[in-house]
Amino acid sequence: MATTKFNKMAYGSADEMVFGESKYPLSYGLGLKVGSGAVIPEINFAPRPGSEKTLESLKREYIDYITKDVLDRAVNLGFSSVQLENEWISQMGSNAEKLAKPIVMGQKELMKKYHDDYGIKLAIRHTIADQREGDGGLRPGMDGKHSYPEKLLESLEVACKNGADVVSIESVGGKEVADFSVVRQDIKGWLFGIGYLGSIDMEWLWGQIADVAKRNKVVPGGDTNCAGANTAMFMAGGYLDKDIPRTFSAVTRAIAAARTLVAIEAGATGPDKDCGYEGIIVKAIAGKPCAQEGKGAQCAHADLMGNLIAQACDLWSNESVEYHPEFGGSSVQCWMGVIGYEAALMTASKQMRTDKALRDTYVASDRFRSPESFILAYDNAYKIGQAIVEVGDSYYLRARAAGMKAAELIQDSNDRGRLKLTKEEKDALSRIAADLRSLPDEEGKFVDWALKEYANVPAFNPRNYEL
Amino acid sequence: MVDLDSINIEPFLTRYDIVMESKESPQDIASRMYPEEPALRKVAEDIVFLRSKNIEADVQAALSEFSPNQVIDSGLLRGIEIVSEIYDRGIYYLPHVMVAADGFDKGIKVAEKALEGGRQVKGTVVMHAAEGDPHDIGKNIAAVLLKSNGYGVIDMGRDVAVDDVVATVLSERPNVLTGTALMTTTMSAFPRVAEKLQEKGVDIPFICAGGAVNRGYVESFPLGVYADKAAEGPKLVVKAIEGWDWRRIRENWDKLIRGTMEGE
Repeated sequence: MATTKFNKMAYGSADEMVFGESKYPLSYGLGLKVGSGAVIPEINFAPRPGSEKTLESLKREYIDYITKDVLDRAVNLGFSSVQLENEWISQMGSNAEKLAKPIVMGQKELMKKYHDDYGIKLAIRHTIADQREGDGGLRPGMDGKHSYPEKLLESLEVACKNGADVVSIESVGGKEVADFSVVRQDIKGWLFGIGYLGSIDMEWLWGQIADVAKRNKVVPGGDTNCAGANTAMFMAGGYLDKDIPRTFSAVTRAIAAARTLVAIEAGATGPDKDCGYEGIIVKAIAGKPCAQEGKGAQCAHADLMGNLIAQACDLWSNESVEYHPEFGGSSVQCWMGVIGYEAALMTASKQMRTDKALRDTYVASDRFRSPESFILAYDNAYKIGQAIVEVGDSYYLRARAAGMKAAELIQDSNDRGRLKLTKEEKDALSRIAADLRSLPDEEGKFVDWALKEYANVPAFNPRNYEL
Repeated sequence: MVDLDSINIEPFLTRYDIVMESKESPQDIASRMYPEEPALRKVAEDIVFLRSKNIEADVQAALSEFSPNQVIDSGLLRGIEIVSEIYDRGIYYLPHVMVAADGFDKGIKVAEKALEGGRQVKGTVVMHAAEGDPHDIGKNIAAVLLKSNGYGVIDMGRDVAVDDVVATVLSERPNVLTGTALMTTTMSAFPRVAEKLQEKGVDIPFICAGGAVNRGYVESFPLGVYADKAAEGPKLVVKAIEGWDWRRIRENWDKLIRGTMEGE
């Protein structure tokens, strides 16, 4: 399908970007306003293992326990606006009509009751499961064993018709090549997997998501490269981890931004997904509201930018927490408090006109914690965005430009003695920069080379991408 | 806009990775572990320094002086041992291990051709990612590490139905089963696998790992042995091959993992 590519930045300068404001704010759900002067907490949750055994037990878990607990705590603590996110478990995606529909309906019904009773502004994002597998086939008609592409499209319809206010997905196009490349520290392969193949899959997928969402008056939120750049980030890990160098994951993040942008080019309006740490780059280019997660998502994972990543969010999320008891209530209630108070702090700073000072404090505390946090600091993210839009018409060229700009920013700061790197991080950065420089300047030549080079990657089938 | 580069980070940020960076080089460590014979040393060096382009020719050359088993054990496997040591000390990263394993794979194919009756593997491991779970990068890494440590691997792939796992274990009779899961809702397949295996009288260690998987959960069902990282796989499997049952591995888990990582 035809998409509208970005060739210029939504913001005139990096400094214009701050949390709780976006160029294109949204109103949806039960009175919720996003990106227009307030940061909204977005609470995400997962059912306990075993609750998926029957529809009744899963409904009870999602509606009577999780949703009710969240809403009770939000009202108890006086939060004015809350967004819920239901990231579908695989069982819901495999049988959407039977397992997901009653949950989608039940959650919304309960939310309406709280909205009517207390006036709390609410919305729910449904993030449908993308279970497609490269070797099975990414497009309808290809996966004879599981029919995952068909199930994805069925999930989309079920979510949009039964109560979703926002629909999102964590799509997996190009993951088979990215997975192969990340463990070999092969940035060229990663660029091919996510920057090129991933973008092609996004274009196919998001055209349909945006169409179904708009027909049902649901907001087509956005995507995340959780399947690729987050895999790299978690492997790079913290200071005790040695799976891949953090300079490698930083560059993958920049490349991922060029791919996550495709959702918006195909019709998504934001807010994009919390776990897309590349969201700041996408926001700089497109100006759409974005959800982010950091220190309030320690229940799900540790990252090296817990404060910094709040810098320009419109929704502040906890990523996901399994439902279980804590001393302070259920887990979803405790994390509702964590993100709700942080969102209130950010919004209050806007009222006091100290929001940019708070933003810069967030950034200063994590700017040099890792190469990835450094390139995602809003001033650097903006520069990567500029590199993308300069060659915005080519998926390959813009992904490569984003990676090269990230490598250049890291190298420059290290040369000036600011961003410290280990020896392996430095060596990896040199190899990445040389590898990206060595690639051709024409998309066709790159694709021809890559199709031969990665022909034997397990589960890679060019037909998934119409190649 | 403020100068974001000007802040003094020392009061609140310590880069422990830089503080603890090893002063030893891979060459220092490898030089203490190489085989003495030059032809075998060359094979080991190819593995350690990721010269996979040379490996086939160097294995072929070593085969003119040594038996295939000697080339495998003292050249190829020694190379992998050195790589593991450098990795355990935090000098090499995982991609070094993966690329070394690719080189090992090439070399072993040449050596095996010269081996009558094929190579004897140290034991067999059946691997899978849980039913409903498409995330298999951890399993794939663990598979490479196990293969390059001399174990036979039967890789069932991802999103594998519980009954298929049980059927494969019954037909292949492996020494160890592994399962990985990223999500809490898919890891619930593990106790079902364990229960069905026990019903069939199977009592092998079932190593479980993955993003949402934790030790407490894995040790809540029979057969379960937890692994935090793919690199721990060979350290646990070797004990199963030595005859330790899952209970003993579980009881000694801290010592096995921590002890081995300290180079004991």
